[in-house]
Amino acid sequence: MRRARRPGRTFAWQALICVCLLSIWQWGYDLHGRLPWLVPDLLDPYFVSKPSDIFEHFLTLSCLKSKLGVFNGWFNGEFTRCMARSENNLWVATAITLKNTFFGFLTGVVSGFAAGLVLGRSDHLSAIFQPFITAVNSIPRIALAPIIVLAFGIGDTSKIVTSWIVVVFLVFFNTFEGARSIDEGFVNAARLLGASEWQITRTVVIPSTMAWVFASLTPAISFALIGVIVGEFIGAERGIGRLIIESEARAEASGMMVAVIVLMLVGVALSALIWRLQAYLLRWQQHNFAE
Amino acid sequence: MSVEALHTRYVDAPPDLRRIDVRGLCKTFQLAGAAIEAVRDVSFNVRRGEFVALLGPSGSGKSTVLNMIATLVKPTSGEILIDGTPVVPGQATPNVGYVFQRDTLFPWRTVADNIGYGLELAGIPVAERKERVRACLTQAGLQDFGNAYPPALSGGMRQRAALMRTLVVEPQVLLMDEPFGALDTHTKIDMHDVLLRIWEREKQTVLFVTHDLGEALTLADRIILFSARPGRIKETFEVDFARPRNAVKIRETPRYAELFQLIWHSLGEEFIRGRKP
Repeated sequence: MRRARRPGRTFAWQALICVCLLSIWQWGYDLHGRLPWLVPDLLDPYFVSKPSDIFEHFLTLSCLKSKLGVFNGWFNGEFTRCMARSENNLWVATAITLKNTFFGFLTGVVSGFAAGLVLGRSDHLSAIFQPFITAVNSIPRIALAPIIVLAFGIGDTSKIVTSWIVVVFLVFFNTFEGARSIDEGFVNAARLLGASEWQITRTVVIPSTMAWVFASLTPAISFALIGVIVGEFIGAERGIGRLIIESEARAEASGMMVAVIVLMLVGVALSALIWRLQAYLLRWQQHNFAE
Repeated sequence: MSVEALHTRYVDAPPDLRRIDVRGLCKTFQLAGAAIEAVRDVSFNVRRGEFVALLGPSGSGKSTVLNMIATLVKPTSGEILIDGTPVVPGQATPNVGYVFQRDTLFPWRTVADNIGYGLELAGIPVAERKERVRACLTQAGLQDFGNAYPPALSGGMRQRAALMRTLVVEPQVLLMDEPFGALDTHTKIDMHDVLLRIWEREKQTVLFVTHDLGEALTLADRIILFSARPGRIKETFEVDFARPRNAVKIRETPRYAELFQLIWHSLGEEFIRGRKP
């Protein structure tokens, strides 16, 4: 028998692992200076920074602290002035990147899903489009990013398009496979109960494809984020990708690390959102295999 | 009663009493380049309110005949009339319900929502839908399982729910393709009683495909015996047990044994013929 899970214990272990990793990151390099035979020459703060520096940099990038190391007051207006002065502060950058990710994801999912359903349910259409889809799918989509930035400019549109193009195929293929593998028994049952084609699509095809679609959404959200960041690397005025490029130009590892950590948190939050939605929409699956 | 009497007593119903009328039905499948003749020149008819079983070994084309009547399979030639109107392949015939061999309950809908599906399609208002679904749940002994999802139910419960999903829209014709084939013997006999009670009250016209002779005898007014492939009608037997029937008691009567033995012999010949390559 499997032992019952104890959430408290699991959490304690997770916290311990975090503390250990952060401690090694923080003090590991100092220890190497003193005990070179024990600790290898890794974790040079010039490249990977260290937690305390990253936290300091986070405070300045987010306008909570001024460059002189003083906390910006909220009531004296320092915070607001700092926000206005630094155009790509952490708040704005995060908001821009999130917004573009969201729209890239949304358009990618909607169009990929629609195309997957239509082609998945029509042998004729899928036969026609098969070679084109295979060809376009063979292109590493991210290679199109420079062309997209060239075509759509350095504004938000190019980021949304880059994001869309990496998401759409992923969702398309999953929906397509899902629509192909529908149990015809369900379709026949619906038809014999008097369902029209549209009713069959709505009540049978879409629900039975949902599990496939959701399987693609968690990777799709990371892909959407990757698309936006790459777009921002190539050319942008604001965004977290831009923040990374700026820090790199100044050889500031801590600045890049702040951006990476924010991206990680954004990614986790978005995935959690997908999981919640999935748990609700696919709640029937949890009742499977109850016998 | 003599064996001969059983064969000759059945006379075709006059056209206006025929609910299902099948004439010269043939079906040839193309399988991997080879033509397989599944059904050859099948003609029969079913009266209003009659319960007819199509009995035969597997591969005798009885399910194909049923699926052609249900519009799921397109006949190669022949005519199918329901209430005097030809059926259109691929297009559901109004008032005709179909129960599948394996349950095709939608796993993403609760049992209650599965049963209410046909009413939902027909645009019946929610309040009336709920009322009718509740009545069906009670009738099937599933009143405590309305909110459960089908995979959580036993095979017998699922098949009862599937039956109710078909019956809730009150079809006048019921086509059943070995609906209890996957159930164990006892659950099966339970299902026979459920079906008998419903049928004795509603008197739908039922066409019931089975390879189980006991099942056919328990339920049907008439048994149409199919030969091994290519499927043709071999013989027709009247089943003259009194109604209402009790699925358990009926098996204990001498008449049951007599009829069983008679038909078993004929069916057995087809099993053996069907086994030969």
